Amino acid sequence: MEIETEIREFVAAQYLPDASAEAITDTMPLITSGIIDSIGMLGLVDFIESSYAIEFMPREIDVHALDTVERIASLIRAKLSGRKMDVSLA
Amino acid sequence: MPEPDSKSDGDLLHEWLRESAAARPDAVALIEEERETTFAELFAQAQSLALLFCEHGIQPRDRIALALPKSTDAIVALFAALLAGAIYVPIHPRWPRERVDAVLAECEARLLIDCESAPPRIADLLTGASIAWPAPTAHEADLARVPQVSPLRPGKLPSMRSEDTAFILFTSGSTGQPKGVELTHRAVSAFVRWTAREFQIVSGDRIACPSPLGFDLSTFDIFNMALCGATAVLVPDYIVWMPRFLVQFLSESSVSCWYSVPSILVGMLREGGMAAHSYPHLRLILFAGEVFPAPSLAKLQAAAPAALCANLYGPTETNVVTWCRVPPSFDGSQPLPIGHPSPYAAVRIDESSGELLAGGDSLMRGYWNRPDETERRLVTLDGICYYRTGDRVSPASDGSYLFIGRLDRQVKRRGFRIELGEIEAALLSHEDILEAAVVAVEDEQKGVMIAAFIRLSVPSALTLADLKAFCGRRLPLYMLPDRIVSLDAISKSNRAKIDYLALGKMAERLKHGD
Repeated sequence: MEIETEIREFVAAQYLPDASAEAITDTMPLITSGIIDSIGMLGLVDFIESSYAIEFMPREIDVHALDTVERIASLIRAKLSGRKMDVSLA
Repeated sequence: MPEPDSKSDGDLLHEWLRESAAARPDAVALIEEERETTFAELFAQAQSLALLFCEHGIQPRDRIALALPKSTDAIVALFAALLAGAIYVPIHPRWPRERVDAVLAECEARLLIDCESAPPRIADLLTGASIAWPAPTAHEADLARVPQVSPLRPGKLPSMRSEDTAFILFTSGSTGQPKGVELTHRAVSAFVRWTAREFQIVSGDRIACPSPLGFDLSTFDIFNMALCGATAVLVPDYIVWMPRFLVQFLSESSVSCWYSVPSILVGMLREGGMAAHSYPHLRLILFAGEVFPAPSLAKLQAAAPAALCANLYGPTETNVVTWCRVPPSFDGSQPLPIGHPSPYAAVRIDESSGELLAGGDSLMRGYWNRPDETERRLVTLDGICYYRTGDRVSPASDGSYLFIGRLDRQVKRRGFRIELGEIEAALLSHEDILEAAVVAVEDEQKGVMIAAFIRLSVPSALTLADLKAFCGRRLPLYMLPDRIVSLDAISKSNRAKIDYLALGKMAERLKHGD
């Protein structure tokens, strides 16, 4: 499944119980709009880290980087490609 | 150890910085990640900016709004404002535009300093002109270093008195407009001098306080830095929300004194793995702003056994007025009292309501530009002026006070004050919302859960996402309702008043997923 779709489904199920995943667009603000609150952000990070087996460092994530499906997906892709690079170097 | 000064200007906050810069020019005043700023550099930068303000025509009591994260530049700007005799007004850089505009209008700010670009941008809101930020960059700072700070004030800077206002902190207002708490140099000094004495803050201390500038907790680190020559270690804005990053920061930054709201510490304990690390330098943990859940507090003591923990209590209008040292034997089975009065505070209970009245040296001057509201909240009894805190307390047998609850509809989330009426006012500003009632119920994870009940002009005119986005444009994140429920009719009592009790019960059911 595409990363965007997985994120949309998670956000819909966790934070917008009355909406379908399709209602969440790629550029819709999720945190600055209050759909996901500060406790919810921790849940979102947990979900991303455990689903994609990655671990974020302090400078990599903040409200801005996690605010839309589009940004979350590109964050995950960047992190995954970085990890692959590490592996190939090793 | 600085001793309380009997001179009338010994309470001027910017003079503390001048004195520390003269006494210890090369000591580190601020650490912001890789960037270190000495006292000489900090004072020199603040003074050049202050002189620019004066040349630009800034007058004493003009308001300078700082829409900046708690950064080196922000600290330079706030001391520059004070040196120029101006009043600084912190604005959270992430507040929605409408709230920023409301605050700028309310305090009639002359200058707005924001971080839309680097270095910060300074705009004159009266003339539309801009002022170039003068502070040197990190590299130039070494070249521009001022080896000796003159103890004399350059003639162009005004002479201030400790009764003058230093800053205005905006808090939630029940009518929908945030209100500005006006604090004098003397009021801030009363609290800072007491903490320096009581907790023996010295030049070797490294103080961290993750609260933003607009929070009264930020008087502790910034002004103890200036008064005691200690180092303020700034907590980067982008790690404050993430408990495990904060724990990493605390364990790696050799912080000796920490001051935050309990929710941040609880997050560090619960989600950040705080107990798995050791903090050999940490000798003092202060917390304020909300109730610390007693069982978590016992865990905090276990995680940092060498640190003295103390609960400080007081609303923004009075800063801290009572405090309580957490006993080493505290097991979390009983709530922690808010404690005994600080030596500069006057505290009493209104016998009829159980409300705590608080006054003394740290009391605000009043609400900026709101004489009616000031008169409503301040009361003079036996010649002493008190602020009606709205907090219900009960006296314990040892003369300390126990917090019982609120007398009004104010709630706290992560230490931030929230007037539920302000959320209602924001919802009612939407043309499709005919009625709005907001309630808060206790929630184990979030502290409080805020539920908004609304009646729409046309049922299903708005989706939940629309509503949340609408609120997000008007309210800071911590004020956003967790649940928004559209009802055909909002429960009323027999006098046609909103039945908040019934709505509270509905909110409880929502919390349990019904």
